[in-house]
Amino acid sequence: MASDSLQFVDQTVARIGRSPDAVIPLLQAVQEHYRYLPKPALDRICALTDIRPATLWGIATFYDQFRHRPVGKHIVHVCHGTACHVTGADRVEDALRRQLHIPPGEDTDPQQQFTIESVACLGCCTLAPVVKLDQHTYGHITAEKLPRVVSDFLSLEAAPPSPETVGQPPALARSGISQIHVGLGSCCMAKGSDLLFAALKEAAQEFNAEVLVKRVGCVGMCHRTPLIEIRSPNQPAKFYAAVEPAEAHRVVRQHFRPRGLWRRISRACGETLDRLLVGEADEPIERYALNQRDPNVSAFLGRQVHIATEHFGHLDPLDLEEYEAHDGFQAIRRVLQQPQPDQIIDTVERSGLRGRGGAGFPSGPKWKVVRRQDAPVKYVICNGDEGDPGAFMDRMLLESFPYRIIEGLAIAAVAVGAHEGFLYIRREYPLAVSRIRAALDQLEQRGWLGDRLMGFDYPLRLSIKEGAGAFVCGEETALIASIEGERGMPRLRPPFPAESGLWNRPTLINNVETLAMVPWIIRRGSEAFAALGTATSKGTKVFALAGKVQRGGLIEVPMGTTIREIVEEIGGGVPHGRKFKAVQIGGPSGGCVPARLADTPVDYESLGAVGAIMGSGGLVVLDDTDCMVDIARYFLQFTQDQSCGRCTFCRVGTRRMLDLLERLCTGKGRPEHLAELEQLARQVSQGSLCGLGKTAPNPVLTTLRYFRSEYEAHLAGRCPARRCTALIRYQVTADCTGCTICAQHCPVDAIPMAPYQRHTINQELCTRCDTCKRVCPHNAIEVL
Amino acid sequence: MPELIIDGQSVEVAPGATLLDAARQLGIDIPTLCYLEQCGPMTSCLVCVVKVTQNGRARIVPSCAAKAEPGMVVESETTEIRDLRRTAFELLLSDHVGDCLSPCHRICPLDLNIPRMIRQIETNDLDRAITTLRQALALPAVLGRLCSAPCQNGCRRGGSCGGGSAAIRDLERFVADACLRSPDKYLPARKPSTGKSIAIVGSGPTGLAAAYYLLRQGHACTLLDRQPRPGGSLRRVDDTSLPPAILDAELDAFKQMGAQFQVSTPVGADALSTDHLRRNYDAVLIAAGELSKTELDALGLLASPVGVRVNTATGQTEHPNVFAAGSAVKPVKQLVRAMSEGQAAAECLHQFLVGLPIRPLEKAFSSVMGRLEAPELDLFLKSASPIPRTAPAQGLGAGFTVDEARGEAARCLHCDCRAEGSCNLQHYAELYGANPNRFARQRRLFEQHRHPARVIFEPGKCILCGICIHIAQQAAEPLGLTFVGRGFNVQVAAPLDRPFSDGLQKVAAECVKHCPTGAIVFDDTFERTHS
Repeated sequence: MASDSLQFVDQTVARIGRSPDAVIPLLQAVQEHYRYLPKPALDRICALTDIRPATLWGIATFYDQFRHRPVGKHIVHVCHGTACHVTGADRVEDALRRQLHIPPGEDTDPQQQFTIESVACLGCCTLAPVVKLDQHTYGHITAEKLPRVVSDFLSLEAAPPSPETVGQPPALARSGISQIHVGLGSCCMAKGSDLLFAALKEAAQEFNAEVLVKRVGCVGMCHRTPLIEIRSPNQPAKFYAAVEPAEAHRVVRQHFRPRGLWRRISRACGETLDRLLVGEADEPIERYALNQRDPNVSAFLGRQVHIATEHFGHLDPLDLEEYEAHDGFQAIRRVLQQPQPDQIIDTVERSGLRGRGGAGFPSGPKWKVVRRQDAPVKYVICNGDEGDPGAFMDRMLLESFPYRIIEGLAIAAVAVGAHEGFLYIRREYPLAVSRIRAALDQLEQRGWLGDRLMGFDYPLRLSIKEGAGAFVCGEETALIASIEGERGMPRLRPPFPAESGLWNRPTLINNVETLAMVPWIIRRGSEAFAALGTATSKGTKVFALAGKVQRGGLIEVPMGTTIREIVEEIGGGVPHGRKFKAVQIGGPSGGCVPARLADTPVDYESLGAVGAIMGSGGLVVLDDTDCMVDIARYFLQFTQDQSCGRCTFCRVGTRRMLDLLERLCTGKGRPEHLAELEQLARQVSQGSLCGLGKTAPNPVLTTLRYFRSEYEAHLAGRCPARRCTALIRYQVTADCTGCTICAQHCPVDAIPMAPYQRHTINQELCTRCDTCKRVCPHNAIEVL
Repeated sequence: MPELIIDGQSVEVAPGATLLDAARQLGIDIPTLCYLEQCGPMTSCLVCVVKVTQNGRARIVPSCAAKAEPGMVVESETTEIRDLRRTAFELLLSDHVGDCLSPCHRICPLDLNIPRMIRQIETNDLDRAITTLRQALALPAVLGRLCSAPCQNGCRRGGSCGGGSAAIRDLERFVADACLRSPDKYLPARKPSTGKSIAIVGSGPTGLAAAYYLLRQGHACTLLDRQPRPGGSLRRVDDTSLPPAILDAELDAFKQMGAQFQVSTPVGADALSTDHLRRNYDAVLIAAGELSKTELDALGLLASPVGVRVNTATGQTEHPNVFAAGSAVKPVKQLVRAMSEGQAAAECLHQFLVGLPIRPLEKAFSSVMGRLEAPELDLFLKSASPIPRTAPAQGLGAGFTVDEARGEAARCLHCDCRAEGSCNLQHYAELYGANPNRFARQRRLFEQHRHPARVIFEPGKCILCGICIHIAQQAAEPLGLTFVGRGFNVQVAAPLDRPFSDGLQKVAAECVKHCPTGAIVFDDTFERTHS
């Protein structure tokens, strides 16, 4: 690398800084520029800064984000989150590798076009399985769809859409005017809602219609995206689900009168013309319509109570006035007027609010400990490192309600006496980062953040720390290490961060969702919050509902709602006539609760009693085609890779558990392995240093507890769910008509073409990719 | 001054003390691998876990990091905690690529430290080589001629690319003959007399091996033999294979150690009965070779289908003070096995005599790497003499010359670990009865990085304690060391793919000293440890 090309490093160091805690931002900037981390650039960083080479290298190899080899022109992320896993992420990755000619064991094709990367979770679980090509997300992928996905991506690349502009001023006055709300969370955008948004705006402009096309945050009904809502004065709101951008014109035409006589005439003519020319212009747009009183919609929304997601689907995430008009910043103003911060903490304590990040530690007492510390400097941190595969609550909250999270964090800061805070957000959530950044910018511009919080004499500085891809950084001591510019390795608690945290100062760390509840609690009072929920778990909980469920999405329900109510009423049950088998709650730290315990209420204690945990709120529904041994194996695969590697039980113990599970899944298990697995799981849980290791065995322990017979079947070489590829084979039945479709689609040529004859599958070549079964029009492929 | 209770004992400690400090104050041995005072707690190995109950809540914590607080109740030596620690050792060992003991040593039924002896031959340190040999073998010159040498089957040079296994038995004989030629015969030390006497019936290999052990323990031994000359089956070996003078010379050594031989003394109903022996000696060992049913009856011992009926683990018969071993119990073909059985029974008999619970001694602990892949073997071959196996030029009867022996010794691959004997992992794994093979797994490849300044880094043996990283950082090493990667695949390395030793320009010696295993060693650590 020529020295002139290292000028970028020099400039970056000058811009970002040379202190040890600048290491992650520096590496991120360098990678952004070179697309990987060239060694000369790293040497240059060491030469220019106070960062030790050992520290730099330790960090550069710890976080998933950092690459050490040049990459192809495009990066393909294959999501391996829980929902994607159970819907066939492995098959998708195999097919993608074939499609893109990426050799086994490599990550880039010989032409250097595509580099494939596995991602723990993109947080678009309702679209599973998901792949992301550069910044374009594609959902519901199957092997057969891939060629179209790739060509679509390449055509988009040729004409890239303009990136989201943030903080744009509203085009029209907001009172008394019709509005079209378009959900623009990342999952909606993955389904094309950004294109729809642009098309609607264009149509409205073209017709000069009296309507404001407005971006709103997540609507929650992810299963029906892109979703738009039309709100006109004095009329009930109208929803349209799964609208295509091509339909934008008709939606606008149908609902809104253009301004000016000439345009009205032309509209009438245009419609006539359409009818004449196309003949089906009349086809009712109603096929997209959803009525809020529609049983599906009311079942989905009926049980929900919105606190963290208050005004969901109505607020433009970055419209400061609108947030303020909807009670925004009332709570922080009240807090700043309050001379006694202890009373704020009392309110939070009396509300019964508990941490929503997983462990459920009561928030009030935690705030109190930080408040009590006699220290000149204290910090607050918003933990937005939502790494659990199968969870996307925090992403949605950050994307949809950036001001609310910031307000919650500011309240916490005032309550504990901190003047500096950080929002630690995982880098897999670029939209969340950009919206929080825009929100912070706006608040600073207005003078509401910085020297005078909301104009009061209270300095508060907030900044963003982007994670670099490490699940363990959700653990608070690891998160602190990461902000300090270290490898994200947890340490023994006590001392707790509340006593000695960031740079050894008292530090309050709360999860995104916890903070999102705080303004509501201050505004409405602790009693209102405590009135919801159960005896020990108050208020509501946001869940990311995904997997084998009709209506997946983002939901907020009172604590104590049962799993059955969530899965069957809100989620509409399991699709395709399959059988509801279990829910996986809490991701890699959680457990599988079987269908027969579906009446378990979701609160911290009840879930703990059945071996699961609340976790951050990922809730993946499993049906009878899901193998519980495979689920356990899947999670252990995740944890042994995500372990920071510090302590023996977690680093080696989870790997040995995985070894045992892999033997089971490939039919090589022996009877004594079950007892060994169980004993090891308990010891890993006991012996591990931090929460990651202590809870990593939960998926194994709960599946062993509730689905032992499935483990035993694997010992006998059977996978009852027909999922473990080493234990199943595909076979053509007598129903085969010899249509050759399977042979044409088989990606490994394991089915010889035999027109008009019953086909056969070469078991040696077959990779159990399931393609033949899916394409067969005669249902003539069976799995044995 | 916090006061707390550990394993039922109350202790008062200085403020800020850890639970490990408190336990050590009480003399409770909590194992540690990653703890070094100057580095502070690493909380990596987790073998120091204890259970703490405080305010009604119990939790398991690493004692090196957890601070002692008043009123804590701490459990250390409980089954639960010992099991947990054992699992921690077994997990570490499951990813520990290296052998503590060489394969030949592990195979040797008499536990001869073969690579150590060979190193002593190679450096021409015959005195120590004889001591090493004498430590393990009752009849070195006999075994050096007659042993079936199972050790040589385990030698890693035995494969196609090794040029033949090391000539271990010939080297053994070379040392043993030197011993016989020496004026003092290098007789092993005996412990002070215990005042106990033992009758050993049979003075063949089994009885002699037992006597060799028991004499050293300070017991008086009388070997009774029905034949006119002691030696048992060894007297039936042809003179070329075993010149009688050699056997006699080795038997002389026994006499010098104080053994009594009572020859031409049949034992049985019509001569000295078992009862008689039991009355006149503190214990009896039957090592008389294969016995007929009549002879067994005459001895008054219960019979199994193949010999004297004993507890197969200990060699004890239905009479608590009568033991039996070797072909008297079950026919034994190999000489070296017969001797190891004699020694094993002697160990149990010794425990009986001194009032210890009778438990067969377990083999020394060793991590086991198993078969090596070709590139791994090359790493070992690289530092050994490339010549093929040598045979004594003057014929088998004459044995190796000094030069031949040293040349052959140079072929040894030294498969044992340089930290053997000083390794904390080995020490505690043995103490906790850890099974290095509890977890079946895909083993990582053995790697060895040799560096200037004679530093050797074997990453497979690293347990990721982080001590070297910390020492390098404290010393402000310009490059330093770091953890690289994440999860199961974390390794310790110098940054930016530089050689390991580049990270240790100042503090290599300190890191070698504090490495809890044999991951960082000096090339010549072998000599340092053993000389």
